[in-house]
Amino acid sequence: MNVLEINNLTKKFSDFIAVDNMSLTIKEGEIFGFLGSNGAGKSTTINMVAGLLRSNEGEIKILGKNIANHSKFAKRNIGIVPQDLAIYEDLTAFENVRFFAGLYGLRGAELKDRVEEALKFVGLVDKQKSLPKNFSGGMKRRLNIACAIAHKPKLIIMDEPTVGIDPQSRNYILNSVRQLNEMGCTVIYTSHYMEEVEEICSRIAIVDHGKIIAEGTKEQLKAIITDTKDIWVDVKSNENLEENVIKEINGVNTVQVEDNVVKINSQAEVSNLNKIIQYFINRNIEIRSLEEQAPNLETVFLTLTGRNLRD
Amino acid sequence: MKEVLWLISNSLRSIIKDKKRLFTYLFVPLIGILIGIAAYGNTGPTTMYAGVVNHDNGKIAKDTVKFISGINNVKVTNIDSSKVRDQIASGKLDCVIILDSGFSKSVMNGDPDHIEIVSIKGASITGFVKSYVNNYLSNVASLNKAAGGDQAAFQQMYDQYKASSFKLEGHSLKDTSKNNDITGQTIGFLIMIMLSSAGGLSEIIIREKENRTYLRLMSSPINSRIYVFSNVVVNMIIMFVQILITLTVMTKVFHISPGVSFWTMVGVLLIFALAGVGLSLVITSFASTTASAGAMQNLIMTPTCLLAGCFWPVEIMPKTMQKIAEFLPQRWLLDTITQLQKGHTLSSLSMNISILFAFAMAFFMIAIYKFSRGNNVRNFI
Repeated sequence: MNVLEINNLTKKFSDFIAVDNMSLTIKEGEIFGFLGSNGAGKSTTINMVAGLLRSNEGEIKILGKNIANHSKFAKRNIGIVPQDLAIYEDLTAFENVRFFAGLYGLRGAELKDRVEEALKFVGLVDKQKSLPKNFSGGMKRRLNIACAIAHKPKLIIMDEPTVGIDPQSRNYILNSVRQLNEMGCTVIYTSHYMEEVEEICSRIAIVDHGKIIAEGTKEQLKAIITDTKDIWVDVKSNENLEENVIKEINGVNTVQVEDNVVKINSQAEVSNLNKIIQYFINRNIEIRSLEEQAPNLETVFLTLTGRNLRD
Repeated sequence: MKEVLWLISNSLRSIIKDKKRLFTYLFVPLIGILIGIAAYGNTGPTTMYAGVVNHDNGKIAKDTVKFISGINNVKVTNIDSSKVRDQIASGKLDCVIILDSGFSKSVMNGDPDHIEIVSIKGASITGFVKSYVNNYLSNVASLNKAAGGDQAAFQQMYDQYKASSFKLEGHSLKDTSKNNDITGQTIGFLIMIMLSSAGGLSEIIIREKENRTYLRLMSSPINSRIYVFSNVVVNMIIMFVQILITLTVMTKVFHISPGVSFWTMVGVLLIFALAGVGLSLVITSFASTTASAGAMQNLIMTPTCLLAGCFWPVEIMPKTMQKIAEFLPQRWLLDTITQLQKGHTLSSLSMNISILFAFAMAFFMIAIYKFSRGNNVRNFI
């Protein structure tokens, strides 16, 4: 069953096209990764799915029903974990979850049970009477999740849920996503951390300029770029380095320098390793190590969009 | 409806939890009563201090001084003419009555003269003394005229005049002006606080957007219309309680009768409250941050309250300002209350009530129009 179906969706802000004729289907039980750099159209798409923005064209169906005609039904079945914390600092953790869950019509004992369940799920039962202003960043993020899941939505949209938190909280959240999925929730997950998406998502879409430019499992996406290879050269100093000169070497697609590591993406069938090494020797740039990387999502993204996810 | 009640109950719970905010909303309006009492509550009888310089040793002059000393609330002191300037300038005396030599003779001749009143406090002081002295002297002059120059006959009539008794019936009249003034001052202050409360409560909408909680609210089954409506209801509840507390304290604790029935007053103030909420929503719809909303509130509400006569009678302002004030809902509320105090019925003031409603409706229309335009969601996502 399709939990989410987007058909030919378009959203314009004056002359700027934020989402351009996008179509997408997410099936029940998937953890769907939504990748795109800033301004690619991810948030606009998510906001339209969540009913916060109206599209100019196209349709969105939640559990088979068009949200234009079944807005309340759609909203009842969606839980949104926004990128920015959306909690009340002057309400306790319990009161926060209770308030938002109450908006979905829950009352009385059922409401109380659901709130406690959600707080237990995110590990904040002990802190339910505390104010969020006394919480760490990770705890606030977890409370942000609890507010989105207490009404037991079928589809949970998580927009960058791990931004700015410690590794322990990040692991907790990633495990929570898996657990929610095991409990039957379908999850749309956006993140700037490629390794997170690679780790938990069963299917991934890469968005650029408002369009989905690639979609599939991580294996399918990596297969797109089997014709390229990544060579990482660790150098002692990058002072005399000229990226443009390396780019002129036969077969080289892109060159990126991160600290002392030169990341070169090159066509797989071109034998150019000697020329690349020769460049460093000629420039008196000392090579500390050199390795050829197996393709990963970062490479896929870079190859398809021409830039890093965090650009 | 369930969602509206949920939002209202949670907003009220949040306000009740915040003791500081609750105190501001409910008890600050009472300051208006205290200001009103301080400004107008002290209007009871006051004593006037008059000095007399008597350069005439005649009988009429002595009797005149005696007459002035007998006037209620006037305390007379005989002073030397050299001290007149100092006593008046220092404010120790409100006025000095100087009877020059020849005064008694001039009264006897039927043309009182050689009397002078010195004061720096103007007609409010001299007028009071003048009217009493004029009355007395004209009676004496009339007696002299009646005596036809016969000194013995005049003396006899004069003695009888002094000894005669008058039947005086006293009826106390209730002075409602003092209470009306205090009510006006209290309501003026209450208007200011009500507008400020409405502004603060509507500002919550912007704060929700800034804190991103608005996004979560809008992604739930409620929509922006339900959310704004619940905000209006909460606003009205708070202002209703503000009105009730202020009027109850004014009438039951300070025993100040507003000159209008309690519930009529509540009703009229509630209609104004609606206009106040509308105005605050207009400000909220135009402001993008809480800071700009606060600035706009200060820029609009304080000057309009001053112009409308919330803190002083509008009549003391220039005519142009009074004309401008007619475009303000505060002016129409104050005018409605003044007219009710003068005895007009609510039905005869339907024009005033309609205008207050029209202000409220106009503000709501502008706010709805502004809220519904543009992709504002981009500003806070």
